[in-house]
Amino acid sequence: MENDKRVYVTPGDVITTGPYRADQNVICQNNKIISTVVGISEIYDNNVKVIPLSGIYMPKVNDLIIGKVISHISLSWELDINSCYSGFLPAHDVFGRDFSAHSDELSSRLNIGDLVTAKIANFDKNRDPLITIADRDLGKINSGELVEISPSKVPRLIGKRGTMIQTIESATHASIIIGQNGWLIVSCKNQKLLSKTIDAIKMIETQSHVADLTDKVKSKLESDVGE
Amino acid sequence: MTTIIDDLKKNKILGLLKNEKRIDSRGFLEPRSMTIDIDVIQKANGSARIELGNTSVIAGVKIQPDKPFPDLGDKGIFICTAEILPLAHPDIEPGPPGEDVIELARVVDRGIRETSMLDLSKLVLEKNKSVIGIFVDNSITNCDGNLFDACSYASTAAILSSNLPTWKLENEQPVLVEDQESIIPITTIPVSVTMGILNDYIVVDPNADEWECMDARITMITNSDGNICALQKGGSGSVTYDQLKECSQIAISIGPKIRKILKQYQIDN
Amino acid sequence: MKTDMQLLNNDGIRCDGRKIDELRKITIKAGILKNANGSAYIEFGNNKILVGVFGPRDVHPKHLSDTNTGILRCRYHMSPFSVTERKNPAPSRREIEISKVIKEALQPSVILKKFPRTVVDVFVEVLQADGGSRCAALNAASIALADAGIPMKDMVSACAAGKIADTIVLDVNNEEDQAGQADMPVGYMPNLDKITLLQLDGILTTQEYEKCIDVAIQGCKIVYEIQKKALIDKFFKCDIK
Repeated sequence: MENDKRVYVTPGDVITTGPYRADQNVICQNNKIISTVVGISEIYDNNVKVIPLSGIYMPKVNDLIIGKVISHISLSWELDINSCYSGFLPAHDVFGRDFSAHSDELSSRLNIGDLVTAKIANFDKNRDPLITIADRDLGKINSGELVEISPSKVPRLIGKRGTMIQTIESATHASIIIGQNGWLIVSCKNQKLLSKTIDAIKMIETQSHVADLTDKVKSKLESDVGE
Repeated sequence: MTTIIDDLKKNKILGLLKNEKRIDSRGFLEPRSMTIDIDVIQKANGSARIELGNTSVIAGVKIQPDKPFPDLGDKGIFICTAEILPLAHPDIEPGPPGEDVIELARVVDRGIRETSMLDLSKLVLEKNKSVIGIFVDNSITNCDGNLFDACSYASTAAILSSNLPTWKLENEQPVLVEDQESIIPITTIPVSVTMGILNDYIVVDPNADEWECMDARITMITNSDGNICALQKGGSGSVTYDQLKECSQIAISIGPKIRKILKQYQIDN
Repeated sequence: MKTDMQLLNNDGIRCDGRKIDELRKITIKAGILKNANGSAYIEFGNNKILVGVFGPRDVHPKHLSDTNTGILRCRYHMSPFSVTERKNPAPSRREIEISKVIKEALQPSVILKKFPRTVVDVFVEVLQADGGSRCAALNAASIALADAGIPMKDMVSACAAGKIADTIVLDVNNEEDQAGQADMPVGYMPNLDKITLLQLDGILTTQEYEKCIDVAIQGCKIVYEIQKKALIDKFFKCDIK
């Protein structure tokens, strides 16, 4: 292990005892810090947290996500955002302020089954997350392929300062849009490079707990390209 | 169950067909690879777990004495059911079976019944009073399209691998004779072949993604003689006469290959 | 009257060859269903049980949703071929009760406050039933929840103890349940040392009752180690080549 304080844990495991601050995915009970998920525990300064290895996506304001239109009613679209909540994209976000339910047809812009790059504009626990596509680089996706990974593995796919994703992109010349919700859009020049890219992504997903993963992915990609 | 497939994937599937390719790189007439395990449920008289691609089904056979149907006093009973377990897919809700599942169970039932796979006349203990019932129940544990063929193969393999217990009548009541088992009277082995029709292309054994894109489907069940014994057209689209002719040729050509696989699980005398 | 089947011989060996404090063979696999958020398959003696977890997700029907917390639902169901006599596929009163006790045994462990207006669905399918299917199902359900990444204070481990031939034994099997004197399924959170499921069929003295709980808890602790191993095997054992 690269750090002896990183330990594999399952729910209920006591990570440490004493006056620590309970950070993510842990609870404090009778002075014991207990993991609530399967993951890798980390103790740093006075904090204890667990990096989870599974779990759904919880929306956060400003997150970039990929959404799929699943229905539209008169004033908004409903999006599957691979979360416990549906996203809702109001019509005026697309049509502008002078949107008219009478003259503007929602299906002229987005249809059921369309994928969009979007951002979480607002979210609190009482309402479904509000989505926006009104920004540069957001909106309907016209090419590429949707790839799904566990949302908990997204940080690993990106890597420290983006090193992991850059490793893949430079090896296969892929363009990858990463949604924080675990949905990715991968575009490549041809099917062969696309498969190679997806293989590398899946490798990171299944082996995210392994140390020195960036190097291992790099050597895998190099040997693949060499074939 | 309606799953919305994303447009990029749908376009890719339909685009590939033009180049005679499929999304999972199979040929048009190529069913997915299949694994079958029998005797997975020891408490059943016969059982089979099948994986057709990622679609997986467990079929269990229960054989027990029963009263005959009033109009069929000289025949044993055969009943086939199916349930898509709610753990098989996020869109399945628990509760009484919906129309899709009832159709599924009836098509599988029809394939076995209409081919006369089981010689029900040999399952009579006393005419009009007491017969043997064969119940085949399919539990679908993972959905990835084409449940029809998966359930049909699972049911068939489970029946072929079943032992038939013996009952004798004592005071008109059937009593099980311990440790006396025979083989089920089998006359033929049905093979179900389901074809999806997408933009006028015919593909065998559509997976879930293709299933969501198809206009119509045809399930054809043939017997060991290569005759067509049962049919079901499904889906909201329509089919032409020429397509139907092509479908029958496909079903008849694939039949023997699948039948050979299923036959391996038949108990010899 | 029942035939005098010998449940326990003079050497303290039970009808299936086990000692009085011995569990049946248990194997568990986590993460085996492709379409579920979390899943587990358990073989516990002759029980064969599959569990799938979905969620947290939108609640249907909407009126069941709680604006303060996520809710837990559980369905325990037996396949028609799972028992000796074919079972009608429609849920029986027994299955509905067991669904409820399993749900209530899991509830103390899960932390759903973070997911208001959602539901976590636990679907249990008994493919083959032997004695103790509710305990086996609970063990698999707890793993499936952990596999799905649902936050939990602790795992729930379950095991029955009972009384046969005037002796308290661990993990009552089907024959012992039918011919024995008492059967007590227990669900237990091993790290928090708390009981979340408890039922009893049969007559026990106060001393026997206390012994029974104690024996069951010892069994749960053994089960817990097997549960942990199933999770570790799924999440940490896919080494490169």
